[in-house]
Amino acid sequence: MDSQSPEPDTAVNGSTDAGPLAGSPSDFLKNIVGKRVKVRVGNGIDYHGLLTCLDGYMNVALEETEEWVNGHRVTTYGDCFLRGNNVLYISAMEDL
Amino acid sequence: MLFFSFFKTLTDQVITVELKNDLCITGTLKSVDQFLNIRLDGITVEDPERHPHMMAVKNCFIRGSVVRYVRMGARSVDTTLLEDATRRGEFMVRVLKGLRVD
Amino acid sequence: MEQVAAGTISEPLDLVKLSLGERVFIKLRGDRTLTGNLHAYDAHMNLVLSQVEENIHIVDVGEDGTAAPPRIERRGFEMLFIRGDSVILVSPLLE
Repeated sequence: MDSQSPEPDTAVNGSTDAGPLAGSPSDFLKNIVGKRVKVRVGNGIDYHGLLTCLDGYMNVALEETEEWVNGHRVTTYGDCFLRGNNVLYISAMEDL
Repeated sequence: MLFFSFFKTLTDQVITVELKNDLCITGTLKSVDQFLNIRLDGITVEDPERHPHMMAVKNCFIRGSVVRYVRMGARSVDTTLLEDATRRGEFMVRVLKGLRVD
Repeated sequence: MEQVAAGTISEPLDLVKLSLGERVFIKLRGDRTLTGNLHAYDAHMNLVLSQVEENIHIVDVGEDGTAAPPRIERRGFEMLFIRGDSVILVSPLLE
């Protein structure tokens, strides 16, 4: 412990590989592909679905999508594309 | 670029531009630029009672960003050509980005 | 550079690419929805659709601030360009 200051990454995670709790937002995004997620868009509507993929604009492709408006499921879509500018946040609905 | 070319093919045709403030302007498409700004000639407004200030206007320049829709006749558009151009455009973008092409 | 997930979809735009020539459902800003045949798109989500039905979802609010039951205004267009910045969602329609 008396050595030079450790790498910031290893200090936080105890390892260098990008595990679920690793630091960066893009690590998080990599880890949630294929998982069930909740995507909140600007008008307060939520989309729940399996995250097929996403890109740098936060464009999102979902499968088995459910549209939730203030606590009620109103619509379902097989596949759906969400334009990135509308995305407020993406949240994992299962353990990473 | 695809839609810039698309609108160039519509030059001298009559189109209706619906703006985000619900104003609908019909006229002859005179020119378009890369931002999809549009110049219309011989214009009429769909609901002149609601927009009396537009009565005297004969031609106009519309900033691309205020456009919601552009409506046109089905005969003015070759849909198979459009679909091919869309796929080709996608292909060229992937080549330029060095991504997988299939 | 990225793994191939779920068939041929490796980036979100692929979902739209697979819908070319197919009937799609579009959700727009301003409580509007469209269904139509998709003929063109670009990275901004500018679109060209044919045989379009537009539904505008309107909630009238009375003088006393109470909301009347929502109503839907319908319009049809034979060929329509949609500017991408209004687009929220695109979904292929399974028929």
